[in-house]
Amino acid sequence: MEQTLSAKLKSISVGLYYTMPEVILSLGIVAVVVFSFFLRNRKTNVPALLTLGVFIASIAYATLSWTFYRTPVSLFGNMVRADQFSAYFRILADVAAGLTVLMALRSKDLSEKLSSEFYVFLISAVLGSHLLMMSTNLIMVFISLEVLSISSYILAGYKFSRKGAEGSLKYFLFGSAASAIMLYGFSILFGITGTLEFTSATFTNNLSTNQSALVIVSSMMAFAGFLYKIAAAPMHIWAPDVYEGSPMPVIAFLSVVPKLAGIVVLIKLVMAFALTTVQFDWQLVLAIIAMITIGIGNFSALWQNSARRMMAYSSIAQSGFLLIGVVCLTPQSMQALLFYSAVYMASNYAVFIALQAFEKNSIDSIPLFGGVGRSFILISIVLLLALVSLTGIPPTGGFTSKLFMFASLWASYAQTGKTILLWLLVFGLLNTVVSLFYYLKIPYYTFLKTPGSTLPSENTAFENFLAVILVTGILFLFIRPDFLMGWLNTVNFVL
Amino acid sequence: MQNLLTYLIFTPVAAALIGLFISAEAKKTFRILTLVVSFVQLLLIVAIVGQTTPQLGSFQLLEKYSWFSIDLGSWGILKAEYFLGLDGLGFSMVLLTVLIMLIAGISSWTIDKNVKGYFILLWILNGAIIGTFSALDFLLFYLFFEFMLLPMYFLIGIWGGPKREYASIKFLLYTLLGSILILVVLIALVISVQTPESGDTVVHTFNLLHMSDPANFIFGSILNPDGAWTIGSQTARWWAFLFLFIGFAIKLPAVPLHTWLPDAHVEAPTPISVILAALLLKVGAYGLLRIAYPIFPEAALELSSVVAFVGILSIIYAALNALAAKDLKRLIAYSSVSHMGFVLLGLASLTVEGISGAVYQMFSHGLISAMLFLIAGVLYDRTHDRLINNYSGLASKMPVFFVFVLVAFFASLGLPGFSGFIAELMILLGALASGSTNQLISEGFTFAAAFGLILGAAYYLWTLQRMFFGPFHVKNEIRTELLTDVDKREFGMLISLALMVLIFGIFPQVLLDYVNPFAQNFSDTIFESIRFIQNP
Repeated sequence: MEQTLSAKLKSISVGLYYTMPEVILSLGIVAVVVFSFFLRNRKTNVPALLTLGVFIASIAYATLSWTFYRTPVSLFGNMVRADQFSAYFRILADVAAGLTVLMALRSKDLSEKLSSEFYVFLISAVLGSHLLMMSTNLIMVFISLEVLSISSYILAGYKFSRKGAEGSLKYFLFGSAASAIMLYGFSILFGITGTLEFTSATFTNNLSTNQSALVIVSSMMAFAGFLYKIAAAPMHIWAPDVYEGSPMPVIAFLSVVPKLAGIVVLIKLVMAFALTTVQFDWQLVLAIIAMITIGIGNFSALWQNSARRMMAYSSIAQSGFLLIGVVCLTPQSMQALLFYSAVYMASNYAVFIALQAFEKNSIDSIPLFGGVGRSFILISIVLLLALVSLTGIPPTGGFTSKLFMFASLWASYAQTGKTILLWLLVFGLLNTVVSLFYYLKIPYYTFLKTPGSTLPSENTAFENFLAVILVTGILFLFIRPDFLMGWLNTVNFVL
Repeated sequence: MQNLLTYLIFTPVAAALIGLFISAEAKKTFRILTLVVSFVQLLLIVAIVGQTTPQLGSFQLLEKYSWFSIDLGSWGILKAEYFLGLDGLGFSMVLLTVLIMLIAGISSWTIDKNVKGYFILLWILNGAIIGTFSALDFLLFYLFFEFMLLPMYFLIGIWGGPKREYASIKFLLYTLLGSILILVVLIALVISVQTPESGDTVVHTFNLLHMSDPANFIFGSILNPDGAWTIGSQTARWWAFLFLFIGFAIKLPAVPLHTWLPDAHVEAPTPISVILAALLLKVGAYGLLRIAYPIFPEAALELSSVVAFVGILSIIYAALNALAAKDLKRLIAYSSVSHMGFVLLGLASLTVEGISGAVYQMFSHGLISAMLFLIAGVLYDRTHDRLINNYSGLASKMPVFFVFVLVAFFASLGLPGFSGFIAELMILLGALASGSTNQLISEGFTFAAAFGLILGAAYYLWTLQRMFFGPFHVKNEIRTELLTDVDKREFGMLISLALMVLIFGIFPQVLLDYVNPFAQNFSDTIFESIRFIQNP
């Protein structure tokens, strides 16, 4: 049905209300760019504060208009859809980006090069992730993924060191290849179904009627792009090099925001396949991918000597745990996933903030952490708690989130009786033991080894403060999980 | 007085919080504070004795507050409670914890390195152990259970002997593997069990008392007693019991899952060895009694001979290892494994005598093993050498010490008049009675266990002969003047333990008044549940 121009304009203006956080972010980009023209002193913190303001405004809008998103609305000719599910993840992405700005202010990696451009790329990456989380159209997925990716490639190279350049280039090359494969998959899917709106009934119906091997091939290709973004096996190889050469605030950002965005859009796509009658056991495939990801991440992390590389493999393994939520694809597992994402974000940021504090004092490889627990007592304890949370041991939110995740997996198994789910459960839980071994490696050095010659030279009070706040949150989520879960209950899961 | 158990758990935790603000230099303050903590806990125990009636087999001093309740839509409501209570089993274990923690606190006075961190971890451990023994909510139990893990890791890893790092990480990985197996079952249980009062919306609960009642399992759920769910060739419930059994057997520890224990004991400082042997091993047995058996009675019955066999294997194999041990502490560690095997045997019999004996053995072994590790500590503090062959004729050099060694060794090998004798006698009687009543344990097993007693006598008497009898002689490197007799502090700890071992050996009724009603109730409930499961 053709719409008149005025009707089109009206629907766009309505859409702008729903996408106000994205509008704020776009205006923020412009504001920071324009502002930097008038900036004499490049050392000023004003662009950072402006960026922080943009993220806070975006969070505030999304939180205040929470009930607004209760009924999902398709916007801009079914390009994107606003709902509570994506709104929640958009808030998480904004919080993560805000923390990144705070980290960047004190980062040694960035101190010389920190300029307003950095913040522009940061905001545009967040904008890309927002749109990716909301998109319901394959073209929109591709465009927003590229907005996110290209900004990330640049951010990854912001250390301007040899290793940084290598990491950034690797990230770019692998990323481009993955995007290309994904786009190829999309085009085949478009050819089969005749529509780009992958959440529409036309898409699923046409997939069901035109069953061929091509459907499986093309969907696997489409998955590849997202697996790359979330650093899941076998598309994870870039992670360690990028983590090694990038500035710490950027790593923290990359370990959370693109991952969550990738998971959200993966859920939507998998949901579309789950509704078809295609003879393709995506649950089996995803469960195997999750297992391989958890296994590769954990077992590779065991042998790492650099804290950054270890955290790279840790984030790969965590992707596997996030994938468990996608494998189950029940309302309960979605709630667990939302909870898990929040705890993961807080724990990961706490770890990276602590690592940044240590790196300031030239402690980067794990043996150098020997005995630093004496001189850096507070941040060492905070790091211990954050790592314990990533492992999933009480008394941290990490335990609660793993408990919810595995409970939904058990429930899923009990419902379907698929043995692969049981294997995933057992394998995932046993991997917790493996992960404890490397997560405790740094605390092992900080508390059990005799001190080297390192003494605190740089002031890390700001990092301590940030990390303590995050860890308090993690502990709180253990004691009162109902606080967040009660709120997540109100999330309306129309996927 | 209300909330006695909460006070008991949080007294040491409060001390740990206060400790954070005390200067690390004030070593004496920490040493006195640990006495204050134990003193307050002893007063609370007295109050608990005053408020409970031992003859009841049911739970007392119940404290129940909602922890969290999460509405998960169509799946139902997930509810966890802060739920504490004591029965005869819990009471014995809490009593033991308070007594041992007092002894361990005094023994910790010799710790000189980073005193602040040490005592803070010790107090957290104290609260966690009491919490484990009094929690009646599976999630709460699991929380306290895991809370013991990291303090113990650091206590061994920082204040331990030369190979402490290896020992502590081995301890940690074994224990975590065990607790993961428990977690699998915990999750399966919570999706299968509802509260009896739940109406249209299912209320999933972690309440252990609800889990122990087979009527509360949701129809068609994975652990439903009808055994409809099978994994491999066995029912899901069979696997769940097996997982719990392995998980707790690692903690117990039972052969062949015991290999972390000798290393941890050899490297741990004396007070930590005392806590490890006297309390942490009991957590494993406690878990079987409180969780694995009541929730999966029919699987327990089916696997009873396996449990008994593992028990016998632990008794014999660990005793043989103790015979071969060269290090005094390693010998005592293996003797611990051997004695905990009796607990498994008593449990497997499922007779009232057997269960009573198992609980009594847990209590008695707690006291005796504490004494044994203190003895090893006395020697190590003086010479830093624990090798049995490096000493001979110590009896003439350290006469008072020798008397304590005699008491501890004879108590441990089961001489009548000491608490260990009562416990092992009851277990053997229970196992024999089982052969004639419920046919769970064959007589052969009982005789094998009795043979273990002979082995126990052999390694203790042989050690006495090697180390204490004959002419005085030590290895050249050891300076003779170091071998002074026990000082006042050591005397105080050892004499109080020796007296307790004697009192509980001569007047077993003091504790059996609490333990017997529990055992009766436990055995009745198990068979009642089995009947319900077979004919619902």
